[in-house]
Amino acid sequence: MNTSGWIQLILFVGVLLAITKPLGLYLCKVLDADGKTFLDPVFKPLERLTYKLIGVDAKKEHDWKVYTISMLLFSLVGMLFTYAILRLQAALPFQSLFNPQKLPAVGEHLAFNTAASFTTNTNWQSYSGEGTMSYFSQMVALAIHNFTSAAVGIGIAAALVRGIARHSAKTIGNFWVDLTRVTYYLLLPICIVFAIVLVSQGMIQNFKPFDSATLKDPFTAQEQQKDGSSNPVFTTKQVQKTDEKNNPVTDAQGKPVMVAQSIPVMVDKKVDTQSIVQGPMASQVAIKMLGTNGGGYTNANAAQPFENPTPLSNFLQMLSIFAIPSALTFYLGRMVKNQKHGWAVWAAMFALFFGGVMVAWHYEAAGNPNLAALGVDPADGNMEGKEVRFGIFNSALFATITTDASCGAVNSMHDSFTPIGGLIPMLNIQLGEVVFGGVGAGLYGMLIYVIIAVFIAGLMVGRTPEYLGKKIEPYDMKMASFVILILAFSILGFSAWASVTKMGAPDPITQQLTDGTNNNGPHGFSEILYAYSSCTGNNGSAFAGLTANAPGYDTTLGFATLFGRFAMIVPILALAGSLARKKLVASSAGTFPVSGTLFTCLVVGTVLLVGALTFVPALVLGPVVEHFLMHGGKLF
Amino acid sequence: MKTIIKEITTSVLATLLFAIVCCGIYPVLIWGASQLLFSHQANGSLIEGSDHKPVGSEWLGQNFTSAKYFQPRPSSAGTGYDAASSGGSNLGPTSKKFINGTTKTIALPGKEAGKYEISDVVDFDGIKLRVLGYCDANNIAYELIQDGKPVDQKTFKNEKGEYDQVKLITAFNDDAKPLTVKPASLIPGDAVTGSASGLDPHISVKNALLQAPRVAKERKISVDVVKAEITNTKVTAGPQFGILGESGVNVLILNLALDKLAAK
Repeated sequence: MNTSGWIQLILFVGVLLAITKPLGLYLCKVLDADGKTFLDPVFKPLERLTYKLIGVDAKKEHDWKVYTISMLLFSLVGMLFTYAILRLQAALPFQSLFNPQKLPAVGEHLAFNTAASFTTNTNWQSYSGEGTMSYFSQMVALAIHNFTSAAVGIGIAAALVRGIARHSAKTIGNFWVDLTRVTYYLLLPICIVFAIVLVSQGMIQNFKPFDSATLKDPFTAQEQQKDGSSNPVFTTKQVQKTDEKNNPVTDAQGKPVMVAQSIPVMVDKKVDTQSIVQGPMASQVAIKMLGTNGGGYTNANAAQPFENPTPLSNFLQMLSIFAIPSALTFYLGRMVKNQKHGWAVWAAMFALFFGGVMVAWHYEAAGNPNLAALGVDPADGNMEGKEVRFGIFNSALFATITTDASCGAVNSMHDSFTPIGGLIPMLNIQLGEVVFGGVGAGLYGMLIYVIIAVFIAGLMVGRTPEYLGKKIEPYDMKMASFVILILAFSILGFSAWASVTKMGAPDPITQQLTDGTNNNGPHGFSEILYAYSSCTGNNGSAFAGLTANAPGYDTTLGFATLFGRFAMIVPILALAGSLARKKLVASSAGTFPVSGTLFTCLVVGTVLLVGALTFVPALVLGPVVEHFLMHGGKLF
Repeated sequence: MKTIIKEITTSVLATLLFAIVCCGIYPVLIWGASQLLFSHQANGSLIEGSDHKPVGSEWLGQNFTSAKYFQPRPSSAGTGYDAASSGGSNLGPTSKKFINGTTKTIALPGKEAGKYEISDVVDFDGIKLRVLGYCDANNIAYELIQDGKPVDQKTFKNEKGEYDQVKLITAFNDDAKPLTVKPASLIPGDAVTGSASGLDPHISVKNALLQAPRVAKERKISVDVVKAEITNTKVTAGPQFGILGESGVNVLILNLALDKLAAK
């Protein structure tokens, strides 16, 4: 934990704090249907045209039910749109321009998983971007959700805040107006500037086919031989059969029992070129970060040097994850006419963020004792799965930020983190990604915890709980509890199911089903737990060793993303409707204040307590036990 | 019901309209602006060879195996630095494969058609083999220790005096009498660990300085000349603006610079 890291952390927090108020004030205008912004001359005509073309009366607001129906139908249509494009990838027109690598259609379970994942702002990727998705699929089928799912999230947060701010009201806003205004006035303009800055740092933006570079130092590698229809070739060898514990099996006469084992046929391949990825990357990366989507253009995501060339591009990408969620806390304060409340929520988020960074940074810098025992410099920390230009600090910081928010882009491989270093990203997701959080999703998630916190405070003093002048009643608590329970149900339920069955693809050699994990022992369990946490939390980062592109995983993970998004949003909108209808009660000496240190501590305590009670048993089986075994020198 | 049909129509129209604006106009606008302002970067920061064909990109590491070149970090991208399949090892800190390596049985086409020669080869090299290889290549003293006692390196070498890597990995993985490596000095972390992308263009400065004597010897030039190339600002980037990120040596640019020096 060196000085340069501390300076970078202070710089990051300083810049984040500095943009929170101006961006928050701008958000107030964007999220007001009649708000005036400095971009009106450019986007107002486009906004009016949009309402006209899609047939929306922008003056009319709706109750929570209509808002919910619009949101659900729009998401469903978008999901089908993406599914169709992925399935038809190889059959669409203009192949030479949009699919120069001649990539085949995406398979049905992968297309379902991907469509669900992008619609829900998750961006979980069971595939490798550069080898699966054509330029058209990246740019249209996937990127549309990077914009719209982010705009939907911000709209929902605004609807909930309106519900809190209004009283004796029926409506909470117009879904189509929120969607349009957020996209045009907030996401697009920032992305245009951001994408061009990213290109200046070395990110690509073109429509060329992959380039081929001639290597200075060619080398020979082995690859598996392919037959005429490009299936891998195997031969067989007679070997003695072994039982489940790897002991040789003999028959009744004591003779060895022989079985045929498949053996891959390899051929030497001279590697004398490097194919260089190309495509429209910068435009997609800008919205992938700003909209906390996180779906990488390439497999290695923000670790791939084109996708994150310099420490400055890294800094801006981290900042863009937190920018809107942080500004939304200011929007909350402004809307409920209690700016101190907005800052108190910000402070609670900051405390959880800071704690996470400290733990992850400490353990990554401490490194792996198994490597230190082999003479690897312990001062270098755990460099497996990290890039030299980012080093330990920026990798730990990025991992914390991307999981505090529901982004899921990675600049280092979480799977190769030390056990406790890797526990932080996982726990961040399991807490519901409320630490600044996804765009919109972070704020509405945190407000659920705020309501639970004031409820607990109310119980402690024996008064009817109130939140900003509204009585919190059984209906509201049912909705809030439902949100918490669905998270636990989906993460723990699916993880348990996947742990006792084999959801992975069959092993190419033995043809037996596998669990798809890349690591054995507790780390293998962590891979599964992380996958369902990430999908339910709509994060999308992974302990990427898990080979998730198999029907079992694709389908269950796809459903986890849908539960994690819609089974949460619907009760939240119901809560917004219920709060909007309520009458104001005058505050009195007994009213629990929703600002100040006591309130902030209570919220942080609630988040940690609810999270700990739910997920500690599972975490103990994964990263915690692995930490102790690692220090005991036990390998799996 | 009427509301629902109207909302579906609106959804379809909105999806198409946003597809045009956000997925058509927007990326093309960025494409135009970046081709105009930063065309070198937007097209992959390609480095051209003498025949104006690309020899690589400033940002993508390449595999160098010859001793006269600086060697990059171990890579899990395809067969090594395959820029069309980026990725890390995704092996965790307690993985046996990560530390000790693994072998696999393969068949190579034999002299007769349809016959194969079956043999064991290295599947994943692992940290121990990498440490050993790095020491060997860069003249760093080390000991092999089995069952707590030093063993002769010749035990694991073939007639030609080269290490039998399969034999080493088998001994590393022997739970009863595990073999381990003990270098005389510290090995830089980045030299034996794989990066996240498998395409890391950089190595640490101390890793480059440890490799410098070998490269100088192979190229029959003085170590000072090689070290001067390392400290060239085009090769070694310090923290950006003096604060952001870490310093690193760009392996491809350094190796190309050394080749250029030799061509003079």
